Amino acid sequence: MHIGRTIAIVLVILAIVIAGIVLLDRRGGPERGEEPAGVQIVPEETRTVTLYFPDRQAESLVAEAREIAVRDGFENQVKAVVHALIDGPSSDGAVNALPPRAAVVQVFWVEERQTLFLDFNAALVSDHSGGSTGEYFTIAMLLRTIGENFPAVRRVQFLVEGSPVETIAGHYAVDEPLDVMTWR
Amino acid sequence: MEIISRYTAALALIALLAAVPAAAQEPDRLEAVRTLGVIYADGRNAEDIDLYRAEESSEEHYITAYDLARIFKATKFWNPDLRKLSLRIGIRRYLFTIDTRVVMVDGEPVLMRTPVHYANGAVMIPLEFVSNVLAPRLREQLELDEEHGVLTIGSPDYNVLRLEFVEGEKGTRAEIILTEELLYHIDSETPGILRLKIYGGKLNPLKFTVPRGEGLFNRVRAEQTEHDAYIFFDVEKTAERFRVEFEPAAGGRGERTLVISLEEGDLPEIPDVEYAGRRMTEILDDEARERRAGSIAVVAIDPGHGGIDNGKVSENGVREKDVNLELSMMLRSRLVSELGVEVVLTRQEDVLVPFDQRVETANRAGADVFISMHCNGWFHPDAGGFETLFLSPARTEDEMRIASDENASLRFENPELDPEELAELDFILWDMVQNEFITESSELAELVQRELSKTIEIRNRGVKQAGLRVLKGLHMPGILVEAAFLSNPDEERLLLDDRFRNQIVDGIIEALRRYQTKFGE
Repeated sequence: MHIGRTIAIVLVILAIVIAGIVLLDRRGGPERGEEPAGVQIVPEETRTVTLYFPDRQAESLVAEAREIAVRDGFENQVKAVVHALIDGPSSDGAVNALPPRAAVVQVFWVEERQTLFLDFNAALVSDHSGGSTGEYFTIAMLLRTIGENFPAVRRVQFLVEGSPVETIAGHYAVDEPLDVMTWR
Repeated sequence: MEIISRYTAALALIALLAAVPAAAQEPDRLEAVRTLGVIYADGRNAEDIDLYRAEESSEEHYITAYDLARIFKATKFWNPDLRKLSLRIGIRRYLFTIDTRVVMVDGEPVLMRTPVHYANGAVMIPLEFVSNVLAPRLREQLELDEEHGVLTIGSPDYNVLRLEFVEGEKGTRAEIILTEELLYHIDSETPGILRLKIYGGKLNPLKFTVPRGEGLFNRVRAEQTEHDAYIFFDVEKTAERFRVEFEPAAGGRGERTLVISLEEGDLPEIPDVEYAGRRMTEILDDEARERRAGSIAVVAIDPGHGGIDNGKVSENGVREKDVNLELSMMLRSRLVSELGVEVVLTRQEDVLVPFDQRVETANRAGADVFISMHCNGWFHPDAGGFETLFLSPARTEDEMRIASDENASLRFENPELDPEELAELDFILWDMVQNEFITESSELAELVQRELSKTIEIRNRGVKQAGLRVLKGLHMPGILVEAAFLSNPDEERLLLDDRFRNQIVDGIIEALRRYQTKFGE
């Protein structure tokens, strides 16, 4: 029985080796080192994430898949995703409800409370151009994107320069953690 | 063990055999033969992607690695030397080798019917990978309907599940099964149609489309919007009264039933001419009648923003805070003269008033309704219209838990109190005070939105529930009106026009009039 298994493993290795030789010998496929379209050679780790941006008419969020470079660590990944949002959408049909000068200063993940703390610079509030619909989509695009790409996060607490604020632009209460599910 | 070794041996043989013919005649170009519709439950827009076929006789379709990675949000790694492609999807790693039928799943070999190809400048993966390899290993549900060419990813979390009809003595009942009790609003303004809106409802419209209902119900249609679900019931002409209520929980799986009962009138048939303007009457029990018979003596008006907070500022420098204040002043004087009510304003000049102070002004004045006046803003001139908002119910587990902790400690600190006194001591979180008025608030919001749609001619953006800071802690029904968009040049002009402003006031006054009389008739 044991011998049978060993033979099997040897056969598998043999098969792969032969297949490999046959393949390398073939013509017509990509040359060695050539990069097939649509599959990038990745020097560092990349991750395909789904970003949500509001449409031009302020009706709903539209999803956009984007490949972003990420570093190790949950907090770093969150930061990279939020900064990808701040960079704005790539399609003309969507707009950005985050001020371009806004930035995430720090991210804290409190696992036992499933709560993510996003600490922004002052531009999130001071540069926000207002309107309740504008403010709604600022929060909605962040929560939807985080909820989608980081399923472990159930709540998000916004901070501005380290402290909670009542609202971002005068309408929506953000002084307490927001439930990701209710913003889906 | 023997089975495993035999299986592995067989696998090896197949792999060996697979490599050879594939190498002999691997095509460089694959033909795009059909499209596959991809539907996402996560809110991504549905899309059509191309499917390829290796040879005419083959039934097997291929999908490019590029599409596959995007659809499943995979991380891709390509090793050109080994001609291997690695996709990390969810928690697993799938390793493909070109011209090979074996895909390694976290190091374990799985065999496919056809090999992976390299063609059209892309890695081509057999579609069977999705249904046979990926589907059983993914957390989210995958449904591949090859016949209709539709791939559905994830299952939407519906909370409005199904519709049933029950024939009764007095008429017909439509029973809507939900996973939980949700806030609803019923509208019988249009003769012959009952429009049910379920706030936060999620349904599959196809399941609620009934070409021919039962008894007094004719056709049923449903719509799903971004936030809410709508069900439209076409009813028989003989239906005269209706009643809507949640049935007491009948136990089992925590489902709740929302019942719409239609009752027949005494007249067998009403001529069409008379029918045209006739609405059905809603049957309310005493409690509901009392709760909803809103007489209004004091109205609190809250001009949004102020002081250093300009609100939205238009391209031409029109400041929202100023328009809000001017609109509020106009509303005040006309409310006093036309409805004879008392009005309190949360601010009368260009100052920033904290949210809690605005709420306190209204609470202390004993206002019967609270109306916050705003203008909207957006990042593109395209957006326009008016909307009315009310506070979404605060009911998260956390808030409930905090309240119950608070009450437990009060009991501990006051052991001398008897149970009745303790019940009165049940504190609720400040944020949840408005919950008590949620039905009235939604009613008022729906009325204002409907009346505004008659007096102003810009887009109707509907009634929305929202976590609005200024409505938290209000001890009365409260709404926030977004009159129009300052970021839209046409609407900006309207907002500066007295005629338009008067039309907004017309709509609000008529809504308040109806709010008072609707249930007092």
